[in-house]
Amino acid sequence: MGGQPLFLQPRLEARLRSLAESGELLHTLTDALGSPLHVVVPEQIAANLERFRSVYRRHHLSGQVFFAHKANRSSALLRRLAATDAGVDVASLGELQHALGAGFTPDRITATGPKNREFLWLAARTSVTVGVDSRDELEQLAALVRKHALPRARVLLRLSGFETAGVRVLSRRSRFGSPVRELVPLLEAVERHRDVLDAVGVAYHLDTTSLDEKATALEGCLRVLEECRERGLRPSAVDIGGGFGVGYLADREQWERYTTELTAAVLGTRPPLTWGGHGYGLRSEAGTLRGALGLYPAHRPVAGARYLDELLAHPAASFDGRPLADLLLEHLYDLHTEPGRALLDQCGLTLARVLEVRTQEDRDELLVRLEAKADDIALEAHGVLMDPVVVPRDLSHADTGPVAVHLSGSLCLESDLITRRTVFLPRRPEPGDLMAFANTAGYCMDFHATRAQHQPAARKVAAWQDGGSWRWCLDDQYWPTTSVGGAQ
Amino acid sequence: MRYDSITEAIGNTPLVRIDPAVHGLAHIDLYAKLELLNPFGSVKDRAAWNMAGPHLADAAERGRQVVELSSGNTAKALAVLAGMHGLTFRSVTNRMRIPEIKDLLLLLGAEIEELPGQSECLDPTATDDPLTLFHRTLSEPGAAFLHTDQYFNPRNTEAHLTGTGPEIVKDLDGRAPDWFIACVGTAGSSTGVARVLREHDPAVRVVGLVADKSDFIPGIRTIDEAREVGLFDPGTYDTIEAVSADDAIEGMLTLNRRCGIMAGPTGGAAYFGALRRLRAADSELTERQSAVFIVCDRVESYLSYVRRRRPDLFGRPRRRNSPADLSDTEVRAAPAVGVADAQAWIATGLPLVVDLRSPSAYAALHIDGSVNIVDELFEELVHGGLPFSRNRPVLLACPVGEKSARYAALLTRMGHPDVRSLTGGIIAWRDAGAPLVRDRAA
Repeated sequence: MGGQPLFLQPRLEARLRSLAESGELLHTLTDALGSPLHVVVPEQIAANLERFRSVYRRHHLSGQVFFAHKANRSSALLRRLAATDAGVDVASLGELQHALGAGFTPDRITATGPKNREFLWLAARTSVTVGVDSRDELEQLAALVRKHALPRARVLLRLSGFETAGVRVLSRRSRFGSPVRELVPLLEAVERHRDVLDAVGVAYHLDTTSLDEKATALEGCLRVLEECRERGLRPSAVDIGGGFGVGYLADREQWERYTTELTAAVLGTRPPLTWGGHGYGLRSEAGTLRGALGLYPAHRPVAGARYLDELLAHPAASFDGRPLADLLLEHLYDLHTEPGRALLDQCGLTLARVLEVRTQEDRDELLVRLEAKADDIALEAHGVLMDPVVVPRDLSHADTGPVAVHLSGSLCLESDLITRRTVFLPRRPEPGDLMAFANTAGYCMDFHATRAQHQPAARKVAAWQDGGSWRWCLDDQYWPTTSVGGAQ
Repeated sequence: MRYDSITEAIGNTPLVRIDPAVHGLAHIDLYAKLELLNPFGSVKDRAAWNMAGPHLADAAERGRQVVELSSGNTAKALAVLAGMHGLTFRSVTNRMRIPEIKDLLLLLGAEIEELPGQSECLDPTATDDPLTLFHRTLSEPGAAFLHTDQYFNPRNTEAHLTGTGPEIVKDLDGRAPDWFIACVGTAGSSTGVARVLREHDPAVRVVGLVADKSDFIPGIRTIDEAREVGLFDPGTYDTIEAVSADDAIEGMLTLNRRCGIMAGPTGGAAYFGALRRLRAADSELTERQSAVFIVCDRVESYLSYVRRRRPDLFGRPRRRNSPADLSDTEVRAAPAVGVADAQAWIATGLPLVVDLRSPSAYAALHIDGSVNIVDELFEELVHGGLPFSRNRPVLLACPVGEKSARYAALLTRMGHPDVRSLTGGIIAWRDAGAPLVRDRAA
């Protein structure tokens, strides 16, 4: 098999572990509903929300946790969340309709992202808070409210391009938000439209894992809010977006060993660890490693609510090193967050049936073909490397010991690989077995799914525990009444 | 010794024997090459001068900026060298995690740019990592930069090939040591020195030390990071071993406290790694051997780094009148007053209202007539005794009434007869609709 197996075992908390170990149920589900199949776990999202809430409580902060709906289309997850006190962040007309239909009242919804007129109209009509991306959008919304005699719209001003003194903290350029250096005309527009727009606060969302960059932006927001107050506006909130991250892998050492071996493979000092010697962004130039590892940092000890906790404890350089949480609190601002992936941590898995296990000529790795397209299991599209859990159909098969495999999809297309990584499995899979890809609920279920080649996109079911056993229904059939002794 | 320029003081550092009573090796003489005694404080002075020196006059003529990817000592040396020649210096980094170094660089007039962190919503097809973009800006037409390129520049290694290595051989009476132990950062010093030593004696054993992958030791790379270094060639080293941050600090403490060598964590890592390797060899030896390790830089810049990992080393005597001394019972029993009663009390004109929030929060909105003493300052004041007359009632206010309760309890314990905490703090005050004001700008 070419050296030690390099496992990347998924981190499974109790609920998801129990589900992944319910082999009979999972086979029954895929026999009935087909492969691939997504299973979501609505109770988990409520548990994750509580972790965020407890960070708010620890810092005495008020404000809303808005679930970034775009990370998963599931109705079950959204409806379960509607039964809590969380909010939702919608990024399209369809998501807004879905949220309203799931039971979210407008005071619990913010509308963000690129918007068309219909989306803006429905948001303003229902008095949903609108995260305004630019001065043009602000003008457009003001005109819309006037023309259609809509109620005064609540707006959050999304900002970008924050600047620092001393050390320059660079950030990737963003297409979203108004640059802070163009603040004055933006605030003048807000003042001009005060009769139809109510600026309730400012927002940012940075696509980075760096705490420093986010702290810089949050400090920048505090300064902008002060300028708003100076102008007689009455802002009350900062929305710091999402990007709190998920720790996908159970074992730090596995991740470290794997990434070290991958660099060795790219340099050619060990056999390849990927299909076709793919380097995940790394390359070898004259024996030196170049490029950047284009992988999600899959083992993250500080992710989700803990990441928020660290950000809030971060000292603000331009406010005498006071922690950001203290500053928010004593300036009397609400803190809004928009976690997507982090709220969906452990909220589901994706099942795919093994169709074929083929020995390759002159290669040690087995070729395992799954009844799923790569876009149904979009872990790879997000740079997440994580082993599937094999759910055998027939428990009597002999234990073969670890094997190395390549996982391919069901499209008639060379590049339809579930992952380009050589995956190590604890035993040889057999046709008919299932592979359970854990923790796919955040962005990896439906965000990328296509119906290419007339192949179906995966169906989705919701599952919950009742006494000692798992019960389920179609995702669309789930309501918060379902799991507490209701229909089934 | 008289010099015309400080740059002449670079190099020719002492080789100091470590007392066998400290290291406990029976058959090995262990020597430290004290690179911390270079004028700008580290081994990187040699490489910086050797890389930049020949180009500085030309760069000054053309108004070029010196640029390097460095998070520490190379940046420090280049900042000084650039400044001496009337040039500006910019350090670009994603690894600068030592606040003292950052401040020192700013003090020296360097510009610091921190590269953005990894994308959270990753696009695996975006191959333009921040470093690629950095290199592109360097080579844009019309760009005026002197890029010293320490990770790839052969003149980095050369500084040690002509300086550090021969100095060691000379100080050992023309012989190479049996062992050479060095941490791998840019790999310049270890590569250059190892080559010189092997030319003298091919049997010299070279130990390269890298940082444990989950750890961060300033100046040392992990094995994956070392592979990104152009000067790094695994063939240079007989073995490559990992050292943890805790080990590095332990080694550093021994050098600081027992040897009088003011080494930083990198030097500590080298000492620890040397000893770990040599102890194993020592027991099997009969004849005498010698070993050399490099002490890269000084301890002073790493105090916050050490404090975060080893707070026990900074135990300070407890101070009087500290809010941390109070029991929960005392805090719960602290005299307090609700918003409505507080408003009535304030209307009598009696209490001094002290707002414990930060100045910017106070400036934004506060209770009319209140005084702002931020909690950190208040804590300092109280250490010295009661800051108010006992005859003057005091109302303490903080965001939610937690800190104010603590200080109300403390002042009560210190003998103030009428100090009260505003229950629920400024937030409860606002929620009750009580007035908050902001003073107009003067």
